[in-house]
Amino acid sequence: MRNARLRTIIGCLLALVGGAALHAQTPPPADQVFRLRVAPGAAGALVLNWTIAPGNYLYRDKIAVKDSGGSAIEVTTDGGEIKDDPSFGETEIYHKRAQAIVDAKLLPRDGDIFVTFQGCAEQGICYPPVKKAVDPRTMSVVGGSANGEFNSSSGEHPVQEVTPEDSFIPFGPPKNLAPEPTPLQGNIVAVLLAFTGFGLLLSFTPCVFPMIPILSGMLARSGDRLTARRGFVLSGIYVMAMAFAYALLGVVVAWSGQNLQAALQTPAVLVSMSAVFLALAVSMFGYYDLQIPQSWQTRLTGKASSRSGSLGGAAIMGFGSALVVGPCITPPLAAALVYVAQTGDVLRGASALFALGLGMGLPLLAFGTFGAGILPKSGPWLAHVKHLFGFVFVGLAIWMAARILPDRVIAILWVAMAGSVPAYLVALIVTKHGRRPSHAVTAATGALIALAVLIAGSFADSFRLPPGFEESSASGVVATVGPAGFKSVSTPQALDDAIARARQARRPVVLDFSAEWCIECRVMDRTVFSDPVVRERLRDFDLIRADATDYNGDSQSAMKRFGVVGPPTVIFLDADFGREAANTRIIGPVDPTAFLEHLDHLNHHPAG
Amino acid sequence: MFLMRASAFAIRLLIPLVLFGSVGVFPAWSEDAQDPDVSSAAILNDPAAPVAGNPSGDISIVTFFDYNCPFCKKAEPSLERVVKEDGHIRLVYKDWPILTKPSIYGAQLALAAKYQGKYDAVHAALMTIPGVKIPEDQMLAAARTSGADMDRLDADLKAHADEITVLLRRNLAQADSLGLQGTPAYLIGHFKVTQALTYEGFKRAVADARAQARR
Repeated sequence: MRNARLRTIIGCLLALVGGAALHAQTPPPADQVFRLRVAPGAAGALVLNWTIAPGNYLYRDKIAVKDSGGSAIEVTTDGGEIKDDPSFGETEIYHKRAQAIVDAKLLPRDGDIFVTFQGCAEQGICYPPVKKAVDPRTMSVVGGSANGEFNSSSGEHPVQEVTPEDSFIPFGPPKNLAPEPTPLQGNIVAVLLAFTGFGLLLSFTPCVFPMIPILSGMLARSGDRLTARRGFVLSGIYVMAMAFAYALLGVVVAWSGQNLQAALQTPAVLVSMSAVFLALAVSMFGYYDLQIPQSWQTRLTGKASSRSGSLGGAAIMGFGSALVVGPCITPPLAAALVYVAQTGDVLRGASALFALGLGMGLPLLAFGTFGAGILPKSGPWLAHVKHLFGFVFVGLAIWMAARILPDRVIAILWVAMAGSVPAYLVALIVTKHGRRPSHAVTAATGALIALAVLIAGSFADSFRLPPGFEESSASGVVATVGPAGFKSVSTPQALDDAIARARQARRPVVLDFSAEWCIECRVMDRTVFSDPVVRERLRDFDLIRADATDYNGDSQSAMKRFGVVGPPTVIFLDADFGREAANTRIIGPVDPTAFLEHLDHLNHHPAG
Repeated sequence: MFLMRASAFAIRLLIPLVLFGSVGVFPAWSEDAQDPDVSSAAILNDPAAPVAGNPSGDISIVTFFDYNCPFCKKAEPSLERVVKEDGHIRLVYKDWPILTKPSIYGAQLALAAKYQGKYDAVHAALMTIPGVKIPEDQMLAAARTSGADMDRLDADLKAHADEITVLLRRNLAQADSLGLQGTPAYLIGHFKVTQALTYEGFKRAVADARAQARR
């Protein structure tokens, strides 16, 4: 019987894993494998650059450009690698990157041009053609029809009768032109449910507990009149008001747009979030109880009492409680808010946050309706659950701090954490039985801890510090981690000075836009800029790092001047004029091989 | 290609990786599919889709392919060999012309040949033309060598043009619903394989699919 249930559970878990595999294994869409960027070339030409994901290749002869009327525009491409294989025939292909140049004379006077391209993955899959519309003036690339050849909306393939002589299948309306829905743009019901669930989880943090005395104080004043129905109405209004307060927050955030993401990634915020989690963890381990200051609580409870459980009072209490409790649940709330901010959709943002508030209020609603009896009885088990939550919070604190603390410190923290969890669990079991641990238990504990530490250590090893990195600044908290050789500047003035000095010395410049909150930048620090070959090759360059860690006016203006959307972006300035050659910048993370190839390319075409 | 050069032993080592990397469980989602055309039942049992192998076999392989897809062509002999040797595999062909315009023509030729019972022959003829950019006239020439009655084929192509178009659209919709990104793709039992396989790979996948079905 018990076995059967266990099997069911394992079966469900396997099904979940299977479901995940279904998503994990699907190859990325062609659009992501072959990324097209457009840059200005010499004499008004248009340069099309593809970055090709590793393990994939693009066909040279499948690169085609047409104007909006459908007539072909000639493109110049470099010779590719020859692939000769019985199944393939002789084909010319490009790995890693490809380039096509459209002469200025051939560009249409107005209207977009349409670029199609096609390739395969080496592992054995061929992608349908991708079609992109490019505005030759703004260099913007739009559209992502994976079946561009057949699903295009440009009307160049009218519906025809299907005959052997003149075949074309009208493949129906374009399906893939709409951008991928972001999570919030998905099914609104699913979003609301997810946020309600998230809120319910949040309600089990100690932050929400102080709401119980406030609510119960309010209910108590109803005295004899307090029925389950009245309790439900009162607590319902309380919860609704609380949810409304969060909805307002959602509105504000949705309006404010995406900058919140950058704001929330600054060291100050990360440090405070990390600290909040640590505080929560310590509280979970029972060192102190986290509560609203007693004076506030009394005042709130008193207010509730004086209003004798009126409906209006409940509403005011609910709204107020949300604001009071708000700071305590900042980290998870911030995560939810960032999520909402990415859509910029006010209505959805508000309803998602409203659902979050409702979820948080569900246990309160149960409490208000059925009395305290409904809440789980406290007991020793509750303490253990709290301790486990404590570990989770410590983990979250480390995770947040990982973006700003030196890698070695983080690695040590993870290893320590990995060792302490099994130690805690074993200690728990041993003390429960009230016996002194036998040798076997001691040995098992040691083995378990060693195993956990080894596992964590092997992961932590991948975060090891590359040579030449400074470990930590004097402050000890906010480290200036940067590869040796990069001069870090954070103001436009300092940037100008650094570039001017390089020009005087007639040295080319590598200008790296980076930020400590930018995870990809740190990955590049570890992989690219600490690679010995790369470092050797960069010896002739002046290395300047424009630090956008403080996402303020200074860093924004520097980014704006170079047309940088965000880090990581690497710009190469020539030695003679201190100018950026056309289409030489690297946008987004690259691996050392791609970076070296880029340097090669730079040497062969110094003027772009 | 490296798969061809690798020894059988290396392939055996490779397969768990391959299966791990590009095989998913193909869910029976007929319950929640809004469009009956893309339910798993419709994908497996589309009456218009050509079926080969053992029609009452205990396991089905559904192949999504394009007549200008080099990997499809490379994997084809292995697939046919496994189906033939096994004897209990039902093979469902999903002509899914997405790579080039002539691919559509090739699919139309093959599907028109189905009306005279010659789908397999034309399909095989088209799949054995090497290369990735076979033009329409070369496809037509290959169909001529397949032994199909070309006058009949031409007539069927005209008479059943709408049916063929509808089937190709349905295949496209089914591939979309499966989240397929390119050719080839195979549904092997409840596994979805999104890359070309070798002979050993197909055999292993079939064995795994049978083992999974028994559970």
